[in-house]
Formats: sequence, structure tokens, C-alpha cells
Amino acid sequence: MNLPAEIEVKGLNFYYSGGVHALKNVNLPVYKNTVTALIGPSGCGKTTLLRCFNRMHDLYPGNRYEGEILIGGENILSGDTDLIGLRSRTGMVFQKPTPFPMSIFENIAYGLKLKGIKKKAEQSERVERALIHAALWDEVKDKLHASAYALSGGQQQRLVIARALAVEPEVLLFDEPTSALDPISTAKIEDLAVSLKKDVTIIIVTHNMQQAARISDWTGFMMLGDLIEFDRTDKIFTSPSQKLTEDYITGRFG
Amino acid sequence: MIETRTKRKIENIIALILCTLAALIGLFWLVFILADIVVHGIGAFKLSLLLEDPAPPGVEGGGLRNAFVGQLMITACAILIGVPLGVLGGTFLAEYARGRKIARFISILSDIMVSVPSIVIGTFIYAILVRPLGHFSGWAGAVALSIIMIPVVLRTTEDMLTLVPWTLREAAFALGAPYYKVIIQVVYRGAAAGIFTGILLSIARVAGETAPLLFTSFNNSFFSVDMNRPIASLTVSIFQYAMGPYDSWHAQAWAASLVVMIFILFITILGRVILKWRYGKR
Repeated sequence: MNLPAEIEVKGLNFYYSGGVHALKNVNLPVYKNTVTALIGPSGCGKTTLLRCFNRMHDLYPGNRYEGEILIGGENILSGDTDLIGLRSRTGMVFQKPTPFPMSIFENIAYGLKLKGIKKKAEQSERVERALIHAALWDEVKDKLHASAYALSGGQQQRLVIARALAVEPEVLLFDEPTSALDPISTAKIEDLAVSLKKDVTIIIVTHNMQQAARISDWTGFMMLGDLIEFDRTDKIFTSPSQKLTEDYITGRFG
Repeated sequence: MIETRTKRKIENIIALILCTLAALIGLFWLVFILADIVVHGIGAFKLSLLLEDPAPPGVEGGGLRNAFVGQLMITACAILIGVPLGVLGGTFLAEYARGRKIARFISILSDIMVSVPSIVIGTFIYAILVRPLGHFSGWAGAVALSIIMIPVVLRTTEDMLTLVPWTLREAAFALGAPYYKVIIQVVYRGAAAGIFTGILLSIARVAGETAPLLFTSFNNSFFSVDMNRPIASLTVSIFQYAMGPYDSWHAQAWAASLVVMIFILFITILGRVILKWRYGKR
């Protein structure tokens, strides 16, 4: 148990602009180079929690955080956090694929350009590496300059993952990345998540408990804004300590 | 039962006939006007119309080169003024002021602006630009046209930007992009075809305007490219020639009308084609 915690959430409360108390005193560690799954019924706050890690909530006025999220010892909820810097250290993949309206190459080079990498040669090299990393290279290497919209949904999702990987983030945030995909694409993304954890720390929100069991090392079960239980995934799915967790994973509600 | 059913059928037939008649009457005039311009215009069109300046009144021959050049200059300047303001304004409404009261207020205001009679805009510019300066000028005409363009461009830009899904912006933010880069590099690209179409349609809208130019750029019988002085335009020339006493003037007015009409038709069709190509497929 002497894993270094890369991220530590301490006493986190979150309020949406309408005053809804969406996260209630959440505490959890996220260990380096692991996959952490957040599960729970709809509206439990798992996506809200995920979007705290890159301060996505700041895009909308009136949202309020309390508590601390330490990434590498630095509290990213403090007022003077450089949001652009924070977000370039944390990649995010959304429920529906979000390719930009440009070519496959430009999609991935976009993050590189933001980081100030302007040399064509370096761009090409890192685009290729990211695509190989995201297990998409073989499918797109001959059409890098075709529109990203020409790809299938599953390919688009891997493209988005490649785009996030290209800037070499420390943390990857997945927000139900496979809920809009077919089983084969889902399996590819799951394999990918497992293979990526040697380089990045992954937090994944999922509705699919089998998915959490398959790919994660740690699992947090949330309900109505509370983190009910956080433990090793095998422990959560075989002998949870909380009655609520057991009821949820055995399908008694949710 | 039977009676009410027959009654409904009869009502239905009457409504159908009335609607069809209304549509036919509307279409008839449109086709009539277009055909009239084509018939008269083709007969009167000579290459000298584009290449020669007007002959003195009463003298045969000559053309409207000055008006073609003037029209192009006024329209080009109007585009240079109106398009950036319209696009930036639409961006403000859709991005920075999204959901705020000020955005709704400006949107409604520009919807009203779209339907303001263009002669009102002409007289407005006359009051604020022509009278204080003491003379008509090409600039005043360009400003008048740009004021007609701005609300059209602004509203299309706003609508097209609103159509770009929020998740796309969030994805760009999540990569660490500042808002202005998100807008310029991602959102504009997603909305480019729509915004471009809006710009084309606004150009088509002002290309045929006469009233706002009558009070601003006025007219000039001589070739001039000085935007600080009165400058000729096709629409005003058509107006003047059509009112004039000479047959050769009438013929040139017809030919010029044909040219303006073809120009507007071309831009409108181009705009539609782009819209269909970009949004029709899905």
C-alpha cells in the first residue's frame, strides 16, 4: 500500500451555480500509473468530480469549489492556478467523440501547437507516436490529411485519445468514453486504457460496472454526491464493506 | 356525418385553390419581372457598356464603366467595413455574451435593423456623414451599405456559432487552449461555411440597393475612383437613366439591370450551394 498518490482529493465540496450541492466532502487518493474508476447511479456526481480535476466547471459562471485537490502536491483549486497550464497537464476524453473540424493530422497537432511546438518535423514525429500509442496508426497512416469526420465513431474516439496523449499529460480523464460505441470499439478503448497506464494516470467515469471491473485497479462508488466507498477494484466487486455498494453492484438498484 | 365530411372536403379544396392561386400570382410577377429584364437586357447589352464611360446627354453610344467600377468600389468598401464588424459582433453575442440579457437585446435589435427600410438608412447617413462634410462621397455610400450588412452578418454568425456543439469547445479547452484560440481555430472552422454563406447573402442584399446610395454617394457622370467624392453606381445610374428622356439611356438601364440581376442571382445561388453542400448531407 505504499503507492505514491499522484492526486489527492481532500474535503472536496462542489456547488453548481444554481446552489445544488453536487459533491459532499469527497476524499480520495488517485495512485500514479493506475486506472481509477468512478461508478454510481446517474446524478451521483461522478462526472462532476471528474470535471473538477481539470477545472472544467470554471467555464460556467457561478460554480464553486471548496476543499483541495492536490496534483503533485500543488492545490489546483487555489485561486491563482494557471488553468491553461493545468489543462495541458490533464487530457480529457468525452462521452461522444469530439474531433475538431480539421484533418486527422491537424487534430493531433492542435495540442502540440498550443504548447508551442511549431517545427513540422517534430510535429510529424509526435503525431505518429501519439497515433501508434492510441492504436490508430495502422488505420489512418495513409489518410492523415483526410477530415477527422470521415472516421468511424470508435476511430474518432481513439483519435481524441491520441490528441490528448500527444501533449504527454500526467493524467487522463475519461468521461464514459465508450457509452456511444459498439462492443468491438469498446474493447479496443478498454485495452488501450490498460496499456496506457504505464505512462499516465487514468481516471474513468463509467456506467458500466463490468467495464470498471475489467480495466480499473481502484474503484470509487458514489451516490448522491457522497463517495460511499473507495478501495481496490477486486475488493469492491467481491467483498465491499458498505451495504449500499453491495446493493448497487449486485444490481439491486441503479 | 356524411354532410360534415363533404363540407370538410369542400373547405379543403377551397383552401387548396386559394393557396395555389396566391403562390401562382406571386410567382407570376417574379417570373414576369425576370423575363422582362432578360428580354430587354440581352437586346440592349453591348460590350461598350462595360468598357466606355457615359456619353454626353443626347449623344448616342457610351457606356457605364464608371458605374461598374464605382459600384464595385462601394460594395468592396462596404464589405470591408461591414463583414468584420458583423462577424465580431456575432462572435461576441454567441460566445462572450451567450445567455446574457445584453445578447438577447442586441439580437432583437438587429432583427429589427434588418427590416428597416434602406432609404431610412440612406437619409441617416446623409445626416451624419454627408451634411457635416458638405458633400456626397463614396465613403458615405459604403458606410450606408455596411450598416445594412452588419445586422445580417451578425445574426447569421451568431446562429452558426450557436450550432457548434459545446462539447467541441470543451474539448479544445481541455487541451489547454485559451478562449480566443478556441473560437478562432476550432469554432470558426466548424461554422465557416455557414458564416461565409451569410456574408454572401448580405452582399447580394446590398448589391441591388439604390435608396441608400442616392443620398450618400450620389452619382458622377465621369470616371472616378476617389471615394472622397461623389461616385457613380449601377443602381443609381439605372434609376437616373430609366427616368431620363433618351432611348439609348433606357437601353443601357435595361442592360445594367440585367448585369446587376445576374450578379445577385449568382451570389445567392453560390450561397445556397455552399449551405447545401455543408449542411445538406447530414
